[in-house]
Amino acid sequence: MRLMSPHRLLCALAATLVPLLLLAMMMGPILITPAGLLTATAELFSGVPSTQDGLIVFAIRLPRVLLAALVGVCLAVCGTAMQGLFRNPLADPSLIGVSSGASAGASLMIVLGGGALLQGGQFAGLSLVAVGAFGGGFLAVLLVYRLATSTTGTSVATMLLAGIAISALAGALNSLFSFVADDEMLRRISLWQMGSLDAANWPRVWIAALAVIIVMTIMPRQAAALNAFLLGESEARHLGINVDIVKRKLILMTALAIGIAVAVAGTISFVGLIVPHMVRLVIGPDHRYLVPATAMLGAILLVLADTVARVVVAPSELPTGILTALLGTPFFFSLLVQKRKYEVS
Amino acid sequence: MALSATGLSLRVAEFPLLDNVNLVVEPGEVTAVLGPNGAGKTSLLRVLVGELTPDKGEVHLNQRGLHDWLAVERARTLAVLPQHSLLNFPFTAKEVVMLGRTPHDTGATQDRAIVAEALRAVDGDYLADRVYTQLSGGEKQRVHLARVLAQIWEPSPLGHRYLVLDEPTSSFDLAHQQLTLDIVKSLAIREVGILIVIHDLNLAARCADQMVLLQCGAIVASGTPEEVLVADTIKKIFQVDAKIGAHPLSGKPLVIT
Repeated sequence: MRLMSPHRLLCALAATLVPLLLLAMMMGPILITPAGLLTATAELFSGVPSTQDGLIVFAIRLPRVLLAALVGVCLAVCGTAMQGLFRNPLADPSLIGVSSGASAGASLMIVLGGGALLQGGQFAGLSLVAVGAFGGGFLAVLLVYRLATSTTGTSVATMLLAGIAISALAGALNSLFSFVADDEMLRRISLWQMGSLDAANWPRVWIAALAVIIVMTIMPRQAAALNAFLLGESEARHLGINVDIVKRKLILMTALAIGIAVAVAGTISFVGLIVPHMVRLVIGPDHRYLVPATAMLGAILLVLADTVARVVVAPSELPTGILTALLGTPFFFSLLVQKRKYEVS
Repeated sequence: MALSATGLSLRVAEFPLLDNVNLVVEPGEVTAVLGPNGAGKTSLLRVLVGELTPDKGEVHLNQRGLHDWLAVERARTLAVLPQHSLLNFPFTAKEVVMLGRTPHDTGATQDRAIVAEALRAVDGDYLADRVYTQLSGGEKQRVHLARVLAQIWEPSPLGHRYLVLDEPTSSFDLAHQQLTLDIVKSLAIREVGILIVIHDLNLAARCADQMVLLQCGAIVASGTPEEVLVADTIKKIFQVDAKIGAHPLSGKPLVIT
């Protein structure tokens, strides 16, 4: 028995996401009224924004809210992919080394670059730190995948071990970079690792949108394969799934999308792990519904967390990564309790 | 047309698991593979369904090499019921059975009808909306039986269909052991070729048209139950003294130990 039908959940999520996006654009150190938002929207469509509200929305709030939503989609859907691939509800993208690799890459750039590179060095709208994060994350996944692939195919169990090993290696490198860093760099490194969306700008939005396009083109087509995967690899093969091709697609997709997400927003934990789990508790593990539902819930959770992060200590702000866990955990607990009650009765 | 193996040999780390095994699973017949633990029953089964590649020998499915098939087409022709399932996600039983329809594109309406019929066939009507992870071992195994039934439910234009079962009755109570054998036999009547790995000699005698006895990776006896189940062979392979009687109703051999 299920808490809710998949269609009802999808409708409920959509009905939450849209108003939340609008609300998130109004909230901040400077409150924008619904009327102000309306004017700003009109200005966006007519050309150059001129009012204060229009400028805030166009240059700050809109890219930030969009970036939060897009990164949320990437994290949550890639989490779904990994949990399906590993047949483990506790798997998340960091399992294949992408997060620790990205951290090491970012730390390296911070330490190497010092002040000069950080301010001046830009690549397609991304700071060099972001480029380092993407490179580090992608390289780590590539290594893990190579280690686990032999002539007989890719072993998911070996990949898990290789992921742990590469994560440990990246962790050691990260510690090494932190050790040689001065106090200012150290603060940057630890802030980066908490994950934050405060560097949101339009180029980052477009790059994150690219990641979402990749994820949402691949994942819906793999829904049936992922369902079969949950039976085990042999069974999936007997059901006509080309197991190794599916694995390669999903891993490459996760490396790209999470690499981009980490590059634009730092390591935001928890979303990739908990969102698929929450959705499964409500509608069950069918990936045909799991994929769109986790995409929306991931966006909702991150936009919500980021909005609170901006408002709660205004005019300063908290790193978003802290709030995803602070907000998500109580919700997750309540679901677990509700589910238990439901099953007993 | 058949599911056939010729000259299969398989070694793992210099330890021979299969030694020159020849086997033909004919459509419309039940072939039972028996033997002591470690005789190579599961290895043979895994080679036959393509999970392991033999060092020597070939497997043909309807006269085409097993690895020359398109994955989806092979799945419409050959279904496999493993001994244990790794599934630990909370699908409903109905959804698990629906996974059997993955290789087909017959449309949701027909798939739902087939899933309902397959569940009914395994006496699993009442399980349809229950969560798989909360079922008992025997109920889970029945759900998987329904899943493989749904996979090869209809005749295929690609030739005869085959069902391979690895100890399907091990976690069943008496009534469901009987039911499984009835299902297997009725599938054989519908021209499906059945390969069943089974430990219980008497259950095997009741349903098999052909019996194959394995020891140390080689076939030591094969033929009808009457030909294979003789006291000497059983003594030689299982080191057990047995009397062979006849089933009072079916007349099939009955091994009494």
